[in-house]
Amino acid sequence: MKKTNKLARIGASVILLGATALTHAETIKIALAGPVTGPVAQYGDMQMIGAKMAIEKINEAGGVNGSMLEGIVYDDACDAKQAVVVANKIVNDGVKFVVGHLCSDNTIPASDVYEDEQILMVTAASTSPEVTARGYEMIFRTIGLDSHQGPVAGNYIADTVKPKNVAVIHDKKQYGEGIATAVKSTLEGKGVNVVMFEGITSGDKDFSSLIAKMQKAKVDFVYYGGYHPELGLILRQSSEKGLKAKFMGPEGVGNKDISAIAGEASEGLLVTLPPSFDAEPANKALVDAFKAKKQDPSGAFVLPAYSAVQVMADAMAKTRGTDTNAIQIAMRTMTFNTPTGQLKFDAKGDLHEFSFVVYNWHADGTKTEAK
Amino acid sequence: MIEELFYFIQQLLNGLTIGSTYALIAIGYTMVYGIIGMINFAHGEIYMIGTYVSFVAIAGLSMLGVEYVPLIVLCALVIAIIVSSSFGWAIERTAYRPLRGANRLIPLISAIGMSIFLQNYVVLAQGTRDLAIPPLISGGWKFGPDSFQASLSYMQLIIFITTFVCMFALTLFISKSRMGRACRAVAEDIKMANLLGINTNRVISLTFVIGAALAAVAGLLLGLYYGVANPHIGFIAGLKAFTAAVLGGIGSIPGAMLGGLVLGLTESFTAGYFSSEYKDVVSFSLLVLILLFRPTGLLGKPDVEKI
Repeated sequence: MKKTNKLARIGASVILLGATALTHAETIKIALAGPVTGPVAQYGDMQMIGAKMAIEKINEAGGVNGSMLEGIVYDDACDAKQAVVVANKIVNDGVKFVVGHLCSDNTIPASDVYEDEQILMVTAASTSPEVTARGYEMIFRTIGLDSHQGPVAGNYIADTVKPKNVAVIHDKKQYGEGIATAVKSTLEGKGVNVVMFEGITSGDKDFSSLIAKMQKAKVDFVYYGGYHPELGLILRQSSEKGLKAKFMGPEGVGNKDISAIAGEASEGLLVTLPPSFDAEPANKALVDAFKAKKQDPSGAFVLPAYSAVQVMADAMAKTRGTDTNAIQIAMRTMTFNTPTGQLKFDAKGDLHEFSFVVYNWHADGTKTEAK
Repeated sequence: MIEELFYFIQQLLNGLTIGSTYALIAIGYTMVYGIIGMINFAHGEIYMIGTYVSFVAIAGLSMLGVEYVPLIVLCALVIAIIVSSSFGWAIERTAYRPLRGANRLIPLISAIGMSIFLQNYVVLAQGTRDLAIPPLISGGWKFGPDSFQASLSYMQLIIFITTFVCMFALTLFISKSRMGRACRAVAEDIKMANLLGINTNRVISLTFVIGAALAAVAGLLLGLYYGVANPHIGFIAGLKAFTAAVLGGIGSIPGAMLGGLVLGLTESFTAGYFSSEYKDVVSFSLLVLILLFRPTGLLGKPDVEKI
């Protein structure tokens, strides 16, 4: 009696195993690559919750071509060396679709691997022009470029703030220096006096020498290209040292942690960010779905990541398969209706249009549109 | 003209502060080297742990309703020193003592392993995000003409004074106390010291504990000064402090102080008069130059007395 019972249990578990193996074989795997750990893991969170929500919604609606999507998280820690390791792991795991990476200097080396291996990659966060400038076929993005963001910032500074002496500081990384250069050339084109253009080392803690230098140069406006840990410290130390200047940064500084680091000094910081897609009435249901999970849909990369998954899924449905080459050709011709608007890709894999908006950042970690 | 002068003073003060922070961590490195002739690569992580422990202590005390700042800082200091010292003691027991007598490279590698372990331990326990505390000690002095005012904050002065006090206390301890004499004996010849009845294991443990306590002081002070911490701060801080120790002559306590100040001033003046981009290039070139002409560092005296 006991023996048969045991046998029956084994039999049942074998059947169950077979069943899971069967459903497993049918899922379409999507790699979600970005920083889960490391100093900019906040942005990785934004990308992951957006992409996971998209996968969940698509699966609820019956999946793609009868198969379910499955998201697998890969952590690159925003470290370029690790990004290549992750890319190779994705190749070995037989995954054909990637949402990511996040930091531009990670996306670029990783995309070399994806292009060679015919893996379709859509980044929702890398804004460096270099990402799509190499004639690759498999590389797309659902966010704008620094070459658009820079001029938006530069024009706002020149037309609205009208400062006398501007300092442009960057972190010497692909993303930070790229956007800082774009801002500087816009400002100089408009005749604004850029008195300083300097790089700092990311990870540094002491910016007192730099701040004294800005005080001496009578700087009244500082543009910083880079991420929030360094700008947070620069803001904090500037207010301690009594540097009276207005600060501005790109979307890489726009998250709540800058207020945690800089405290009151983050009040009035200007940030260029993608528009608040979560405030669009059309996205109400989606925003509620995020809130039901206690997730914050207002992060800059949440809905672009949602769109990244959706465009891949739509293109898979259109081509009735998972052949990445057919999909990338289809993606260039289709128009996608996504939470971030109607998206169309150009020949390079960039969006036809994407606007950046200037926001005023507040000490409590919220933002309002700057007029 | 007067503006230039005050700008110079400002950069001098900035350099002295940065230099003191390097020196404070460098003293721990140099002391362990002086006594057992090995680099404790986990020292930077002890500093990081010191910062974390003091942040947790400060947060805990303010939650309990303690508002008197000197009391908060003092309690945080004591807690940080106790916790960090036990880490220092444990590192010596697990990563060094079992390997005593082995080839010199082996404890070095086990120390690097220890450093990776500690970093990841804090990552898992505390997360990788930047932890921030609001400024506890703010304010300072401002002086100079209206066109350029140099400033010195209370925090900068505290850091500078603490570093000096630590250096003097340690030098006194090594040269005057009984235990200090034992330390010097161990530094000179560990086998002979053992034969003469000195408990060398205890001396070495003590060295690690003192080094860790100094790192905890640095962790608290720099934590208060910058207001942020993440699990990776130990690496850069350790690297800079190690450079300072080598520059000043590793094994020499005043040398660590001098090396730290030289490094800090070089960085500050390069950033102030040239460009922040090149400050690491200039300071490390200086290190190479000094080592070319004085291989033992500025104050290092090999084979005479290591500490």
